[in-house]
Amino acid sequence: MSEVVFRAEGLRKSFGSLRVTDEVSLRLPAGRRHGLIGPNGAGKTTLFDLITGEVEADAGEVFLGGRSLNRAPPDARARAGLARSFQRNNLFPGLTVHENLALACALKHGIGHVFWRRLERFTALWQEAEENAGRLGLADHLGQRVSTLAYGTQRQLEIGLALVQEPLLLLLDEPTAGMSPEETSGILELLSSLPESLTLLIIEHDMDVIFGLAERITVLDYGRVLLEGTPGEVRGSDEVRRRYLGAAH
Amino acid sequence: MRERDPIQLPVAGLLAVIAVAAWFGAGYFGQELLAEIAILAIFAMSLDLLVGVAGMVSLGHAGFLALGAYATAGATVFWGWPPAAALAFSVAVAGACALGVGLFAVRLGGVFFIMITLAIGQMFYAYFFKARAFGGDNGMSGTPRFDLSPLGLETGDPAVFSALMLVIAGAVYVALLLLVRSPFGMMLTAIHQNENRLASLGCPVRRYKLAAFGLGGAIAGLAGALMAQHTGFVSPDLAFWTLSGEALIIVILGGSGSLVGAAGGAAVFVMLRDHLSDGSFWEGLRLSGDIATHWQLVMGLFFIAVVLLARDGLYGRLSWLVDRVRSAWRGRGGGA
Amino acid sequence: MLLDPEFLIVQTLNGLQLSALLFLLSIGLSVVFGLINFINLAHGTLFMLGAYFALSAARAFDSFWLVLLVAPVGVAVVGGLLYLVLLRHMQRADPMKQVLVTFGLIFVGLESVMIVWGPLPHTIDVPALLAGSSSVLGQVYPTYRLFIIALGLAVFLLLYLGLERTRLGAIVRAGVDNRTMVAALGIDIGLVFFLVFCLGCGLAGLAGVVAAPVFSIFPGMDMSVLILALIVVVLGGPGSLKGAGLGSLIIGIADTYGQVLVPELARVTIYALMALILIFKPAGLVPVRSGH
Repeated sequence: MSEVVFRAEGLRKSFGSLRVTDEVSLRLPAGRRHGLIGPNGAGKTTLFDLITGEVEADAGEVFLGGRSLNRAPPDARARAGLARSFQRNNLFPGLTVHENLALACALKHGIGHVFWRRLERFTALWQEAEENAGRLGLADHLGQRVSTLAYGTQRQLEIGLALVQEPLLLLLDEPTAGMSPEETSGILELLSSLPESLTLLIIEHDMDVIFGLAERITVLDYGRVLLEGTPGEVRGSDEVRRRYLGAAH
Repeated sequence: MRERDPIQLPVAGLLAVIAVAAWFGAGYFGQELLAEIAILAIFAMSLDLLVGVAGMVSLGHAGFLALGAYATAGATVFWGWPPAAALAFSVAVAGACALGVGLFAVRLGGVFFIMITLAIGQMFYAYFFKARAFGGDNGMSGTPRFDLSPLGLETGDPAVFSALMLVIAGAVYVALLLLVRSPFGMMLTAIHQNENRLASLGCPVRRYKLAAFGLGGAIAGLAGALMAQHTGFVSPDLAFWTLSGEALIIVILGGSGSLVGAAGGAAVFVMLRDHLSDGSFWEGLRLSGDIATHWQLVMGLFFIAVVLLARDGLYGRLSWLVDRVRSAWRGRGGGA
Repeated sequence: MLLDPEFLIVQTLNGLQLSALLFLLSIGLSVVFGLINFINLAHGTLFMLGAYFALSAARAFDSFWLVLLVAPVGVAVVGGLLYLVLLRHMQRADPMKQVLVTFGLIFVGLESVMIVWGPLPHTIDVPALLAGSSSVLGQVYPTYRLFIIALGLAVFLLLYLGLERTRLGAIVRAGVDNRTMVAALGIDIGLVFFLVFCLGCGLAGLAGVVAAPVFSIFPGMDMSVLILALIVVVLGGPGSLKGAGLGSLIIGIADTYGQVLVPELARVTIYALMALILIFKPAGLVPVRSGH
């Protein structure tokens, strides 16, 4: 088994008296495609927030590549190799697709602070952004403002921004939410073309997507891990069926 | 590849031409106005960097203007420094204080950022108001202007001084424009639009905001130093929050985030104030000249109108107009 | 000087008097801020307007008590009109626009007052009943100023009872805590808010009326109190009645003693206090929101 890239130990979080994450632990070896499912309100997105540092955990620890990220704010965690896409499109609406991608590229290369040279001069950066746009199927929209794009196209960019970061661990929060079947299969194609070394943790409501993509799946319920296993095991579990799949199908 | 903000440089060029023409045409009083506009433009552009570019709405920016003005006044009058050295000192003092303030202020957002900058600006006001060394609420006079006599220039001459101010304003503009168009400037724009996402892409957002706040404060300090030189006089009113409010109005009037718009807004603002408070202007409109005494009423209504109606400001409207004309032109060309 | 009882008593009473005025002034600002995060910079203008309305009313009627009733109602009406014409449409605007529109109103108010009542300061007489002096702990102190303190206290108690015991009060408390929830219950929060806004304006006007016989009435009298009122709001916690009371007490006493003992640093310290509260305790000393 390959080396563990990401580890979360005993994460806990309460909002008021409501415990939304309860002793959640997770180990992901390099290259793992891991699914995260559970009914609405199971605490899936909160778990992402705890991993990326957007929400501070009450207890527990997060490691990436053997390093503890506990005291690090979200931006430092991103630089350490975490990237995420959001459940709701979370972009830079006044900028073009090209600029959105260039922004992510600039941060990846650590040149965001450069103030003495015009951004236009960084031709390699724009080139890289353009190549990424091509890979993401956004080549036709390069010069368009994000706010003028159709929802599905924005969604592609949402995932694209995270991909551009070339992270160690990629967190995708319902990447296909609200997309048409064609768009969904486009996203699936994109995800299957990702480098094998990339570790992926994905929240998804579309069971066909998750069972087709994930090697292992964690089922959350009321903030707790109900089960972790292969797609076959999850499908075969009576408890999961009762609590979740039964309700969905 | 990309044509972002295509009218920025043409508008700046146009404004420069107008400024030069005005300089040649202006009499004694006109030169004073021109210098005032240039200095206010520097101040407004420094605020635009915070408000329009990075999205940090400060209602205490005048505090740093006053710091710069008092630093120059103190250094020249008490220590006998040459004005140029005092100017550098002003920039350093205002910038350093802005960094210190920013360390705390940039943690807050929205209306709370407005409130904390208001409080801190008023802190400077209250200090200068009571500071006996600086003349308290009477202020202090005696700040000298640059000594350019080795170049054969007499800065006491309003025409020379206003030309100098215009050149400095132009230089500040160019520097800020380059900054805004650098990767750092792009990050500030992105912070304005979506701070949290930028952080999740790996940008240390607070540090960037702090840098912008410090730089904005330093440039405000520069404007303050020039203002002290221009009038030879500093008073606590320079720090009062209403001046920060007026600068915000100028930024919105010109077009928030457009830099050159802030400079244009400063010009419109000064001219308007000058006209509204002049009885003959109202008589020219076949109205009573007495209205001039109550010019602030008109100004207040104007402020409200600007905020309610301006949306993207004069610059934004111009941009829109140019866009329309262009596409109409292209449409006709395509049809022919 | 600090141990001199005469000094202590007089300054403390002066401080309480300022606290009472600040409370009347800031409670409306505070509740509006708590309800919709709206900062009305023209709130001080309403205070000034109250004083000028009192001036005119005092010329028209003989009775101070009638003035005390009529002038604040007049201010509440002005506030209500402002709300309907302008501020209502600003609720969803970004904070900068809200602040700047009310900033413009300051100038409009200032000049309107000058046009109607002229640029020179005015005074009005203390009502005959309260004109004399009373003895407090052996110190002679103007009776009218004691009246201001008592009025502040009375209004605080009335508002407290109103908030705790009436349906409107319950809605306002819930609205400060969680606005969307109240709206979801089918309550017309817009109407409630309008009433609260008018009441707040009326109280600011009342502050102006009672301040008028003590201070002179002049264009610009709004400026100095506005920022103090903002500090009270931030200090006490937006939307909190007890907070506004406590904040007024602290600022009123601190500012009075500060101006006497350390005039160079008093105001600086108070502004610094406001900044520190914003950084470390942004919900104020008496937080009301359960946090969302």
